[in-house]
Amino acid sequence: MANKASKPTMSRALQRREDVAGYLFMLPSLIFFLGFVVIPMFICIGYSLTDATMHQKAATAFVGFSNFGKLLGDEVFLEALKNTFIIVIVSVPAVAAFSLWVSSAIYKLKGPVLSAFRCIFYLPVVTGSVAVTVVWKWMFDNYTGIINTVLSGAGLIEKNINFLGDSRYALWCIILILFTTSVGQPIVLYVSALGNVDQSLVEAAQVDGATNFQVFWKIKWPQMMPTTLYILVITTINSFQCFALIQLLTQGGSGTNTVMYYIYYTAFKLTEQAGHFGYANAMGVVLAVFIAILSAVQFKLAKEK
Amino acid sequence: MKRSKLMALLLAGSMLLGLAACGGGGTTTPAPEGSKAAEPAQSQAAEPSTAESITLWTYPIGNWGKEAEVKAMTDAFTAETGIKVTVEYLAYADGDDKVNSALSAGNAPDLIMEGPERLVANWGANGHMVPLNDLVDDTDKKEINAAAMAACTNTDGSIYEYPLVMTAHCMAVNLDAFKAAGADQYLDLKTHTWTTENFFKAVDALYAHFGQTVGAVYCAGQGGDQGTRALVNNLYGGTFTNAEHTAYTWDDPKNVQALEKLRDTKGIEFDASLAGGDEIAKFYQGALKMAFCWNIAQQLDPNAAGTGSGKTVTGEEIAFMAFPSEDGNSKLQGGIWGFGIFDNGNEAKIAAAKQFIKYMCDSEHTADAVKTANYFAVRNTAEGNDLSNIWADNPIMAEYNVLMPLLGDYYQVTTNWAQARTSWWTMLQKVGEGADVSEMVAQYAKEAIGG
Repeated sequence: MANKASKPTMSRALQRREDVAGYLFMLPSLIFFLGFVVIPMFICIGYSLTDATMHQKAATAFVGFSNFGKLLGDEVFLEALKNTFIIVIVSVPAVAAFSLWVSSAIYKLKGPVLSAFRCIFYLPVVTGSVAVTVVWKWMFDNYTGIINTVLSGAGLIEKNINFLGDSRYALWCIILILFTTSVGQPIVLYVSALGNVDQSLVEAAQVDGATNFQVFWKIKWPQMMPTTLYILVITTINSFQCFALIQLLTQGGSGTNTVMYYIYYTAFKLTEQAGHFGYANAMGVVLAVFIAILSAVQFKLAKEK
Repeated sequence: MKRSKLMALLLAGSMLLGLAACGGGGTTTPAPEGSKAAEPAQSQAAEPSTAESITLWTYPIGNWGKEAEVKAMTDAFTAETGIKVTVEYLAYADGDDKVNSALSAGNAPDLIMEGPERLVANWGANGHMVPLNDLVDDTDKKEINAAAMAACTNTDGSIYEYPLVMTAHCMAVNLDAFKAAGADQYLDLKTHTWTTENFFKAVDALYAHFGQTVGAVYCAGQGGDQGTRALVNNLYGGTFTNAEHTAYTWDDPKNVQALEKLRDTKGIEFDASLAGGDEIAKFYQGALKMAFCWNIAQQLDPNAAGTGSGKTVTGEEIAFMAFPSEDGNSKLQGGIWGFGIFDNGNEAKIAAAKQFIKYMCDSEHTADAVKTANYFAVRNTAEGNDLSNIWADNPIMAEYNVLMPLLGDYYQVTTNWAQARTSWWTMLQKVGEGADVSEMVAQYAKEAIGG
C-alpha cells in the first residue's frame, strides 16, 4: 500500500524535473523569440495606433484606428497591396507545383545524381539574395543584358526590352526571380517526403490495379500533406514579404511596389513623411493579418483534405 | 483539452503574426531639441573639446568617399587636436535610410557631410541638427559665396551646414561618338554650350548612326535627379520652383513642351531601370552617348573608376557640356556640400565636431579638404589662405570654370523638397510609359506641394 501511495508522488517529481529541463532547453530560443518577435509585434500593434514619427518631439499621440482608415484611401498602398497579392497568387501555386513535379522526377534517382539535382536547385537559396539579384539585374539589363542580346540576336525583338523599367514586365521579372530563389527548399522537402512514403501501401495499391495517378493521388499525396502545408505557408509568407528584390531592382518603381517595400519606404526613406512609424506599423499589422488569414485558410483546407 | 487547444491556437497565431510582422516595430526616440533660436553671428573660434573621438558619416562627395584620401586628412586632424575621427562611408542609394535609421535609434553620427537639401531642409528643419551660427563670423560671411551661405541657412536663420565646396552640375557627351555621327558640329566646345535645336539635331544624328538609345532620362529613383530637372527646365526655359522657393512651378507649359519633345525623340528613352549612378556607368561603358548626370568630379574621374580623366572605359573622349537651352545660355543646377552636426546631446562631442569643421572649412587645411572633394571652394580665402587658385595646376578644372557663371538658383531648399524629388521621378516614369504629359505634370507638381 505504501508503495502504491508513493508512486504518483515520485512520478510528479520526475515530471516536474523533466518539465523544468524542457523549459530550460527552450529558454535561449524563447528569449530570442520573445525579444525579437513577440514583443516587437506588440510594439508594432501599439505604434500603429499612434502618429509616431521620427521627428516627434512630444509624446506620441494616440490616434486610434485613423492610420488604418488612411490606408483605405492611400492609392500607393492599395497598388502595393494589389501587387503583393499578384505575387502571392502567382508565386505560391507555381512554386508548390514546380517543386512537386521536379521532386517526383528526381526522388528515385541514385544518390550522387539526386544530390547533384538537390544542389542545383538549392544553390539560389544558399546564395546571398544580393548576389542573385545583381546577376539577374545584369541579365535583364536594357542595354547590355544577355536576355536582350539573345532575343535581338535571334531576331525576336527589334528594340531592346526594358524588363525592369517597364511596368508591363517588371513585376513578372520580380516573380520569376522570386520563383527561382523559392523552389530550392520545397524541392528538398518534397524529395524527402516522397522518400518517406510507405512503400507497402504503394505496392498494395499497385497489386490492386491502381494507376500511377491513382497511386499518387490516393496514397502519396495524403502522406505528403503536412509537407505541402508547410511549403504553402512558408512560401506564402515569403511572397508576402518580398522586399530585397524590389529594393535592389526597382525601388518600388515600374509598378512593382509591394506592401513590405512601402512599409520600409514610409519608415526610413528621406521623404517629408520620413519615419512615419505609426503609419508604417499600421501597414505591417494589415499585412500580418492578411498572412494570418491566408495561412489559417491553408491549415483549414489541409485539415479537411 | 479545450484549454490546451486554445493555448496551441494562440501560440500558433502569435507565431504566424510574429513571422509576418517582424518587419515592423520601430522605437521612436524623441528628437533632440536642436532647433534653438539662431544666435546672432559672433566671431568665435571653435572651442577645444574634451571629447576624445567623434564619428563622421560622409556621402561620396568626390574623393570624400574614398577611405585612403579621407584617412590622410582625419589622421592629420587627430595629430593636431588629439580627437580621433571614425568615418563611415555612405552611398547615395541607401545613405539616407541609414541616417534616418540611426536618428530613430538615437545613435546618429556626430558629423555628416552632404548638401543643404538634406542637412538644412530636412534634418535641420526637423530639429536634428546643431546650429552653426557661432562658427560663422562677419569675415566668413564675406568670404563664403553668398548663395551657398543662403542655401545653408534655414528659414529661421539657423545655419545647419558649414559649406566647403560647390560646383555646377552639367551633362557630358561622348565626343568620339559625336564625331563618328557627324554631330560634333552642334557642339560649341569653346563655351561648352549648345542650343536646344542643336541638341535634338545631334540626338537624331547619333540615333541615325548608331541605331540605339543615345541618352536616357533616368528615373528609377531620386539619385542624380538634378540632371533630369536641369535638362527639362533648360530646353525651353521652364522653372522648377519660384524665385522665393515657396512653390513648385514645374507644371510650367515650357516643361510640358520639353517632356513631350523628349518623349517623342527616338534617341531619348525614359528609363525607369536607371538612376543617376547607373546612367553614368552606361555612359562610361559607351552604351549611352550622352550623360545628364555629370559634374567636374566625374570629368576628373569618370565613374570613379580611376581610368583617366575625361575618358570612357574604352578611351573615348568625354566633353562636358552645359544643358541645351534655346539661346545657349542655360541655368545650371548648383551643388553645395559641407558639414553639419547632429545634436546628440553631448556638448563635448559637439565642440569636437565644431573643431573638425573649423579645421576642414576655415583654416590652412581647407585647400586639401576642397581638393579632396574635386570641386571648387565656396570661399576665396580661409583664415588668410588664398583658395582662388588652388586648381591653377589642373587644366580640366580651369576649363570647367567656364560653366561656373551659368550657375543657377539653388532651389533644393524649397519646402517639401524630399517629397518633390519623389514626385519628380515618379512623374517621369509615368510620362515614359505614355501617360498624358500635362496631366502627369499637374498631378505630381500638386503632390509635391502636399496637395
